Amino acid sequence: MENIAGTKPALNWAVNISVVFLVVLWLVPTVGLLVSSFRDREQIAVSAWWKSPFPVAQNFAAKANLDNLTERDGLFVIEGNIFTEGGNDEGSIAAFGGARTSPDGTQPGDTAELTRDRTLTVQANGDYVYTSPAEITRAPSIYFASETPPDFSLENYEIILTSDNMDRAFINTLTVTIPATIIPILIAAFAAYALAWMDFPGRGVLIALVVGLLVVPLQLALVPMLQLHNKVGIGQSYLGIWLAHTGFGLPLAIYLLRNYMVGLPRDIIESAKVDGATDFQVFTKIVLPLSFPALASFAIFQFLWTWNDLLVAKVFLPSNSESWVMTVKIADDLLGSRGGDWGILAAAAFISIAVPLIVFFTMQRYLVRGLLAGSVK
Amino acid sequence: MKTNLYAGVAILALTSGAAFADGHQPFAIGEGDFNWDSYTTFADAHDLSGQTITITGPWTGLDAENVTKVLSYFESATGATVNYSGSDSFEQDIVISARAGSAPNVAVFPQPGLAADMAAQGFLTPLPEGSDAWMRDNYAAGQSWVDLGSYPDQDGNSQYYGFFYKVDVKSLVWYSEASFDEAGYDIPESMEDLKALTDQIVEDGGTPWCIGLGSGAATGWPATDWVEDMMLRTQPPEVYDQWVANEIPFTDPAVVAAIEEFGAFAKNDAYVDGGASAVANTDFRDSPTGLFSIPPKCYMHRQASFIPTFFPEDNDAAFFYFPAYAEKDLGNPVLGAGTLWAITNPSDAANVLMEYLKTPIAHETWMALSGFLTPHTGVNTELYANDTLKGLGDVLLGATTFRFDASDLMPAEIGAGEFWTSMVDFTTGTSAADAAAKVQARWDSLK
Repeated sequence: MENIAGTKPALNWAVNISVVFLVVLWLVPTVGLLVSSFRDREQIAVSAWWKSPFPVAQNFAAKANLDNLTERDGLFVIEGNIFTEGGNDEGSIAAFGGARTSPDGTQPGDTAELTRDRTLTVQANGDYVYTSPAEITRAPSIYFASETPPDFSLENYEIILTSDNMDRAFINTLTVTIPATIIPILIAAFAAYALAWMDFPGRGVLIALVVGLLVVPLQLALVPMLQLHNKVGIGQSYLGIWLAHTGFGLPLAIYLLRNYMVGLPRDIIESAKVDGATDFQVFTKIVLPLSFPALASFAIFQFLWTWNDLLVAKVFLPSNSESWVMTVKIADDLLGSRGGDWGILAAAAFISIAVPLIVFFTMQRYLVRGLLAGSVK
Repeated sequence: MKTNLYAGVAILALTSGAAFADGHQPFAIGEGDFNWDSYTTFADAHDLSGQTITITGPWTGLDAENVTKVLSYFESATGATVNYSGSDSFEQDIVISARAGSAPNVAVFPQPGLAADMAAQGFLTPLPEGSDAWMRDNYAAGQSWVDLGSYPDQDGNSQYYGFFYKVDVKSLVWYSEASFDEAGYDIPESMEDLKALTDQIVEDGGTPWCIGLGSGAATGWPATDWVEDMMLRTQPPEVYDQWVANEIPFTDPAVVAAIEEFGAFAKNDAYVDGGASAVANTDFRDSPTGLFSIPPKCYMHRQASFIPTFFPEDNDAAFFYFPAYAEKDLGNPVLGAGTLWAITNPSDAANVLMEYLKTPIAHETWMALSGFLTPHTGVNTELYANDTLKGLGDVLLGATTFRFDASDLMPAEIGAGEFWTSMVDFTTGTSAADAAAKVQARWDSLK
């Protein structure tokens, strides 16, 4: 039985394991980002995200309270409790020390001998006794190691969602994104049909030209396009950014749709033409419905790209805070003076990903369904 | 009767302005030790009601909030509306918008090099006449500030474009008071002492320095500050100026020696937290946290006056002046940087704004907020928000030589490009001579 062709359990296992491995590999950064989004900047700096679910043994410093200084048998003594003085009600000390260089050298209950004949005793509950043969003038530091429970908070999300003008930025992003997705699809569908099914001289050259435009980096066109917009009188405005996104998106859209439409069965289109359909009718009644999966997949591409765009928005929209889109708002306003707030960045990534995810999952079934499947058999 | 009416209207205008700006003005007008006289004189002399000034700059977050607060006094004094917008990618944005003809009225440049480039292309408008003379008289070391703000225009004539406002001091070493105190270390008074202290810390089993060069696309810039500071401590300021202008090449023994001086700290595994190989990978924002960890990962961190923004809360940070060699007799050189305001889209209101920056009140309001240093000699230094800032101001005033950040003055392709990357190469293994040769080769290709 084991030698029957087509069943190779060992190979199946290898495939399954490598799939699982790849999935995990791809997910790790996202999970890390998600975990970081619940932590503040200092936590991120202190410990790695994969250690965050566990209590961390962390070292702390506290000042002994000079007000409790008493003199006993020629010794100056300070007594107190680290936790009550520090404002925390409870805690437990795992180890302590009297110098910054050895913050966890002594077990609780033992006595540490410090420089200049000073001693320090700390109990597990935080009670400490500090003695010195000479007068104590400055509050001495006590260092201790203590376990801090894992700490997650929604603070980053709160900061982002409650910041001024965030709702405005969300609306602005939608104002940019929706037309910037629809306009190129409209134009590209017509163009793709013409390039795929209409015979006219120079068609091949046009297709080559469009494919050639795919490799032109959009950064090249930023300054001349903005100059043109200023000259025409559009300036920095929504109309300008729609046109810019349309222009930058069209080569890929035409190329993608044209390749898809060319693959549609010739029989259907020719029989429609024999029956007297005009090109426009063929386009709207036959090609367009059949091309729905391609239209949907390009729509997803274009939507994601315009949603995440920062550069084009910075160039083609005015720079005042009323016209910030979400990406600009996050990069220029929320990340702090010099971009050091990683927690905010992570949380912002998950907030701004929400809408594209919804779009992806609602449109995705069109990709999978493939309308063509039923029509040709 | 008529004068009464006018006075009434004036009061009405003033109070409505005050009410409008009330929300973001941190200091009540007329209260405190501020120079409010300069404010009222300015307010009486200028009326810009209904006019709008747009400003873009590199400040985002807290700094953006502060500049908006400071400018709100300009708004209430003149009735103008000021729109400040900060951008994380200011250097790129301003070039694009200037070329496309949609520049803001005023731009705040973090680097004179970029401003000089734009002046040469004709995108900047010279400041109102007399501004350079004012700067010479009212700024400490005024002539050097005028020089730093003057560039050749399109036709090659030198004009005065840049008004320096908000200055950073760079020759600083940050440390934790408790760490130094417990270990019994003293503040070094000379470079020799600093090197002895470095060795002492290693002997005691500690790591003296935290150095981080990482900064995304700008990785490497903290190293250029080190080299510049070393340059000022090993060579007279004239040589420094020649180096900035490339009158002596990067491969000059003086420059190579300065790079090696930096390497003596950064390329010694025992001196740097994480070892020499960690220097290029550590982000400059994360680097200083090692000072405050328990036990300390390092004891000293050389960085400019802005760095406390990245210290953890509840720190016991203090700083000392990055000392000079006692034996070299070069005085107390101070390295600094600053942002300069220039007019990118001329209007009368923009000129008035530049006039406002000359008033003491424009400086004092930001001094009292935080994160602001000024060489303006007419301000009340008691107004600095805290002792640290005041101490920084003292470093600025105690300088026998003040030099501007060299990498900011070099052409952008060097000072914001090859110099950075070559210093990263240097810390990861390349020799000082090779790294210098690479920068010089790039500079030659620009000529």
